[in-house]
This record gives sequence, C-alpha cells and structure tokens, in this order.
Amino acid sequence: MATRAELSILLADVVGKRRVLERPSELVVYSADGLPGYRRVPMLAVFPETGEELVDVVRTLAAVDASFVPRGAGTGLSGGALADDVVLLGLNRLTRVLSVDAENEVAVVEPGVVNVHLTRAAARHGLHYAPDPSSQAACTIGGNVAENAGGPHCLKYGVTLNHVVAVTAVLPDGELVTLGSAAGETEGYDLLGAFVGSEGCFGVAVEVTVKLSRNPPAVRTLLADFTSLAAAAEATSAIVASGVLPAALEMMDGPTIQAVEASIYAAGYPVDAAAVLLCEVDGLEAGLDADVRTVERICRDHGARTVRVAADDAERARLWQGRKKAFGAMGRVSPHLVVQDAVVPRTRLVDVLETIRQIAERHRVKVCNVFHAGDGNLHPNIGYDANDPDETARVHLAMGEIMRACVAAGGSITGEHGVGVDKLDYMELIFSEDSLAAMCRLREVFDPRRRANPGKVVPTRSCREWMATPAARPPSRSPGGTPTAGPAGVTS
Amino acid sequence: MTSGVVRLPRFDATGGPSPHAAALRERVREAAAAGTRLRVVGRGRWLDAGRPVRADSTLAADASGVVEYTPGDLTLTALAGTPLEAIREVTRAERQWLPFDPFGAPDGTLGATVVTASAGPLAHAFGTPRDNVLGLEFVTGAGAVVRGGGRVVKNVAGFDLVRLLVGSWGTLGVVTEVTVRLRALPEADVTLALPLPADDAAARSLVARVVEAHRTTLAPVALELIGAPLVRRLGGMPADRHLLLARLAGNAELVASQRAALAAMSDVAELPPEVWRAIAVAEPAGAATVRLSHRPARRFDSWRHALATAARLPGAWVHASVGRGIARCVVPPGIEPAAIADAFAPGSFAVAGEPGTLLFERLPAQLWPTLSPSAMPDGPTGRLMRKVKDAYDPHHLLNPGIMGE
Repeated sequence: MATRAELSILLADVVGKRRVLERPSELVVYSADGLPGYRRVPMLAVFPETGEELVDVVRTLAAVDASFVPRGAGTGLSGGALADDVVLLGLNRLTRVLSVDAENEVAVVEPGVVNVHLTRAAARHGLHYAPDPSSQAACTIGGNVAENAGGPHCLKYGVTLNHVVAVTAVLPDGELVTLGSAAGETEGYDLLGAFVGSEGCFGVAVEVTVKLSRNPPAVRTLLADFTSLAAAAEATSAIVASGVLPAALEMMDGPTIQAVEASIYAAGYPVDAAAVLLCEVDGLEAGLDADVRTVERICRDHGARTVRVAADDAERARLWQGRKKAFGAMGRVSPHLVVQDAVVPRTRLVDVLETIRQIAERHRVKVCNVFHAGDGNLHPNIGYDANDPDETARVHLAMGEIMRACVAAGGSITGEHGVGVDKLDYMELIFSEDSLAAMCRLREVFDPRRRANPGKVVPTRSCREWMATPAARPPSRSPGGTPTAGPAGVTS
Repeated sequence: MTSGVVRLPRFDATGGPSPHAAALRERVREAAAAGTRLRVVGRGRWLDAGRPVRADSTLAADASGVVEYTPGDLTLTALAGTPLEAIREVTRAERQWLPFDPFGAPDGTLGATVVTASAGPLAHAFGTPRDNVLGLEFVTGAGAVVRGGGRVVKNVAGFDLVRLLVGSWGTLGVVTEVTVRLRALPEADVTLALPLPADDAAARSLVARVVEAHRTTLAPVALELIGAPLVRRLGGMPADRHLLLARLAGNAELVASQRAALAAMSDVAELPPEVWRAIAVAEPAGAATVRLSHRPARRFDSWRHALATAARLPGAWVHASVGRGIARCVVPPGIEPAAIADAFAPGSFAVAGEPGTLLFERLPAQLWPTLSPSAMPDGPTGRLMRKVKDAYDPHHLLNPGIMGE
C-alpha cells in the first residue's frame, strides 16, 4: 500500500496539486456526512474535474492497490461517504449536465450534478427528474444512484432505480463499463439494476443517463390535520387501500409540526395537531377532483379536523417547504439529530408508530416522526446532544429497539438512506448468512479486492467464508474502514 | 380459494429456507455432486424461448400457492410456480391486480415471467417485472438458499439481488418465491381502437399527436400499435388496417375525458377488454419472435421498418409498444429459417443511422449461433456478466446455454 505522500504525488500528477488535500485542517471538512456522531478522517482527498480525470484517478489508485470512498455532496444519512484513513474521492466538481434530449426524455449528467439542478435544466422542456429526496437542493445524482435515493414523490413515480437508463462507470480496477442503454433494450443480466444502490462499492459512475418525466398537467395538494397519530396512520392505510395512488403522501407528527412552525420554514401547519397528512394527487385534470374528494372523505372519516386544499402554487410550495425543511427545522430543538429510516407494511403503520412511542417513552428520548407514510417508509428522528453520554446511550438503545420493531412487523431496515456503516449490524436481522454471502459475491464480481468503499453495506464477517475459500484470489488485506461505531450511529 | 391456490405459512427471512426451497436445494446439491446439468422449468410454458439448453435432467420449480397477501399493503408473495391466472383471481376478489400481461398462455407462472423479465402492453404505464418485484427467494447453483429484497414497497437494504435475478433466465438460481407490488383495479377500464390512416405521413402525425397528448389530455395504461396482419388474425376488428389500441383506466371521469380526447383526433371504436388476451395468445407454438427497439423518438420509423420486414415473411405480424419504442415481430412456424436469418441479420435494423437493438425471444434452434450467439455483450460488461454467472452457478448446472454464457 502506498503511503499518503506517495499517493499525493501520484494523484497530483492527474488532477494537479491544488485538488489533492492532505492537511488535517482541510480534511476535517470531509470527516463526516449526514450521519451524526461519526468522525472518520480520510487519508487524503482528491477532486477530479472531468470524467477523464476521474477515470485516471481510479486507475492510479488501482495501480497501487489503494482503497477509496466516493463522495457526492456528503448528505447521505447512513455514513456511506465516511472514509476512514483511506482516499476520499470527491465528485462534487463533476457538475456538467452533458445533454438534455427532450425528444427522448433523457438527460446525460456527470455524477456531481445536484439533483435539483437537473430538474432546472429540464424545466424549459416541461420535464423534470422525478426522484426528489428532501436534500435535493444539495445532493448529487451520483450519490442518488449510489444510494438508490427516494423522496416523497417516489410513492407514485418510483425511486432512482426506475429512472436511471444507463450508467458509464469506472470499476475499482480502472476498467470502464457501460451498464444499460438509452438506445433500446439490453440483454443479459441487469447489472445496471445491481449497480444502482450499491453504495459506492461497485465502482464510480462517470456518466449517468436518466429518464426525465413530463410535468403533470394538474396537481392538487391537501393538508389534513388530526388529533391523534393513530388516526392519521389509519387514514394513510385507508387512502392506500382505496385505489387512489397519490403522487406523495407524507406524515408529520406534533413535535415535527411545532419545530417547523417555530422555524423560518413555517408552513402554516396547525401547531396543536397531533399529526398532519400532506397528500398530493397529480395527473390529468380530468378526474383529479374525484381523487381529491376521495382523499378528503377518507381523512374526515378518520377524524380529520380540517382538510385544506392548497389554493395556488404559492400555498402548495409553502406546504411542501415545511415538509422538505423539517429536518433543518429540528436543528432548533437539539444540537444533533439522528434521521432514522425504516419501512413497514402500510397496514402496520398504526401499531408500529405506537410501539415507537412506547420505546421513546421508556428510554426518555424525543422522537419526531416525519415520513413517507404512503410507502410505509418511516423516519423516526431523535434529537439529542451527542456530548451527553447518558442521552447518547439511551438514543442508541431506542434506535435499536425501533429497528427491531420494524423488522418484526415484516419491514426493512432502510427504505432510502442505505446501510452504509449505520445499519451494518442490522443486516443480520433481515438477511440470512447465505443471503449476505451472496451479496459479498456480487460485490467481488465488481471489486474482487473490495477497495471501493470498504467496510460498508455488508458486515465484513459475512464475507469471511468466501475470503477463506481457496480460490485463486490474492491474499486479503484489512479493509480500511472497519466500522467501530454502534448500530444506531450515535457513538461520538 | 380458487384455482388450487393454497395459502402457505410465512417464513421469516432469516429463519432458514421454506420447505419448498429446501427440497429444491437438495435437488441442486445432488445435481452438483453428480455433475448433472439441469433444465429449470416452471410449468414448461417457456421451453421454446431462449437459446437451446444442454441439460441432462429437468428441475421443475412448479409449486404453486400464495404465501402472503394482505390487500391493504398492496403486496403479494407467491411461490414461483403460481400461474398468473391464479394471482389474477385471488387479487380480483380484493379489487386489485398484478399488471403483468406477458405474451403467451395465461397459465404461465409468476416465476417464469419474472426470470424471463417478460412484459406486455401494460408495461407502458406500470413498467416491467424489474419495476414491480419487491423480493424473491432462490436456490443458487452452489446450493444456497438466498433471499433478496423484502416484502415492503421500498427497500434499499443490501445489494440488489432482486434486479440481478429478474431476467436471468434461471441461470443464476432457481427462483422459488416472489413478492410483487399490486395496484388497485381501476374503476373503469376501456380499450379504444384508432385505425391508422393509410397515408404514411398522416399515420405518423396521428401517432405523434397521441404521444404529445400525454402532456395534457392522455394517460393510457397501454398504447400498442397492431399491424394489419394481426388485426386480421384476431378477427372482428373495426377496420382491416393497422390499429392503434389505447387502454384507458382510472376513475370514470378520467376515462371519459381521454375517450373524448382521442375521438377528437381520429375515428375510435371501443373493443372488448378480451382483445388484450387475444393478442397475448395469438402467437402459435413454434413461432419465432423478435423484438426491435430504438430510442422512443424513432418509434414510428422503427415500427415501419418492422412492418416492412414482416411483409417479407408470409404470415408474420408486428405489434409495437409506442411509449417504450419496442416493435415485436412474430413469425409463424413453417417459414424457411434462411428467410428468417436474412430478415433479421445483424445491422439490418438501423433507423436514421441508429442501429437499434434486436432481441430474440424465440428462434429455430439452428439460427441462434448466427443471429444471437450470446445474451452477454462482448467487452468488459459481458465479462462482468460471466463473472456473475460463475459466482452464483460455479458448476454451470442451471439452464446451460440459454443465455449463450
């Protein structure tokens, strides 16, 4: 393995000295992502500015067998962009929208293009990029591809996977591959499907071809407020079962509403409500009001005090801003916030939310729920002070119990934030040893040396068996970033 | 319970394989020990698809039954051998459906549809199996029982083994169980036929206007061009010419408004919903089927090109998914293989300088080596695919040859 000084010289040859950072004071900026409580200082950071530079950087790293962690905007919430004394490969300078093909409704972008910039580039054609994570003003398409990012409107329009047509990627060994095609169907295994959501472990996207969606001709946004969380959850299940497929169906509980309303993002949510549902239906103008009436009726049948339909685009934007900036608003309440992510079957929302409430009460922690109710994708967030060891320990315990409750309800440990390092210890709750081993095998197809984002997604112990097999494999090295933190990601 | 569908107890994802998977695992392990190559089948409805398989024995993953169905979740888990028809009946009782309508017999299985990634006209709105499978269980060629994904509609836990197995033609593992996303049955479901004008420019203009209206007044769940030879074969159709079929679904108001929008563009005639089934089952056993795809903007040129090709093969027909830019040619048995080889020769489908993609579903056995020796491309992407095969089926026991691997 090359030393930091050797690597620095090699990489500076590719991108120039100014785009290789190695001083601790510079690297500290890249020592955390959106997952609180973790600090991992990279060995150095390198920032290619063109696709060619990116490929050359990866080839340089391959030549000296150096591990690396790709990073977009660093907004990820599972610690996927943490680089523990390995090279951090910053992609945020690859920001070109290479083409927008309105006729075929696709765009080709570099990985560092910010999600909302892509939609802006498509806007003059009446098109947009559908996946809309709450961090869309900052997060990048490369990061979205790595995490298979979702967002409120994924309820109707699908997640990143459903909107990526092709990826040109550089594999960890430096080979350039094209997965998928924008020019017709492809045959063979769906390696594009495998690549999307591989959390930077399979290689680095150099160019991404995405589908653009036509802007819906009509939109209605409703806000329903409830005096109990259970009633809002029941209404959610009933809307899902009714056959109306909202574009988005979001829930915020009382503590979230209060945080939002006390912030600069105040959206006019009723502060005394136990929960609000933000429901958007879209599509053709015809028949849309019938859907609005159905949703309205279901909400009222489940005890909604008021159901308000946004009168204009300004009101609609305001209602959405409160939802999208809710995490930011919670910054007023506590210095640190764990944004959790889990999924349950939609019919289990009511009892799982009640279980979460009991868990929070037992551990004396403050849970705020703001989440994609229509998908059953929970975000039970806990505000806390990471400098308070006692509170941190309680948060840690509560998060573990919440995860187990979601799994027990038939759910998943992550719906859109990824496993990263945060959820590693939960993987065994939902996957058998053989299933985890099968995932390791897939990773080894793309990265036999496991140099790309080492130590993430699948617990290292799950791969031991394969590493031990007497195959024609080079001797194993310690993967650089073995996670040391606890499962809830709250050790500090 | 209808159609012999049995509800089975559910098994925890981490709690070991289902008895069904465990039994298949034993079969695979025995085969591995003996070096027996296996032809993996469901109900055997797809045996004429794909490249010829060199196998010593047949392994039937034909066990049928719904494992879990909670209508309020709009998800369903079934054994791979469950016929789509059975799923249709179970879900219809709850006013839901699985919008998979692959071409072929209605008793084809969920597992076969998923592993062949077969899609029909409804993929226009609902996507292909790739977009609708939430989780699955499979037995690898190494004899391990593996689960990918889960039973919830949104899930990014771990690497995506689901996408890897969808469309893998049984070469990576024997799929034993599948979880899919369901939809609510629409309140109204109407199919309209628009005769294409005989004049080429007028026909192109009509298709373009219908596509453009997707921005404002149209949102069909299927939009399929049906070539005149197929129209004739179906019989009882409103005109003896190419038709554009639009399937409109949703609440009554939405459907009525779209009907009016189409009527403003063309003559329209309502067809019974059974027309879709008739199209799906029209192709006879032993037919060669070939898909031609281009960028969506080339959809009309592509369609015309496919029509011209079919015209050279007596009895052949074409239908095309307008939104997806895929034209499908069906060549009935009895045509000289040499004529088929000539019609679908590599490079013969370039449209406006773009090569397009030819994808063969079924061919006379002797044509595969020349027309499409492998599903895996040359170069680094194909090499990755071969490594995937080696990783999951190290002894090459499962459906050897079907992807030209």
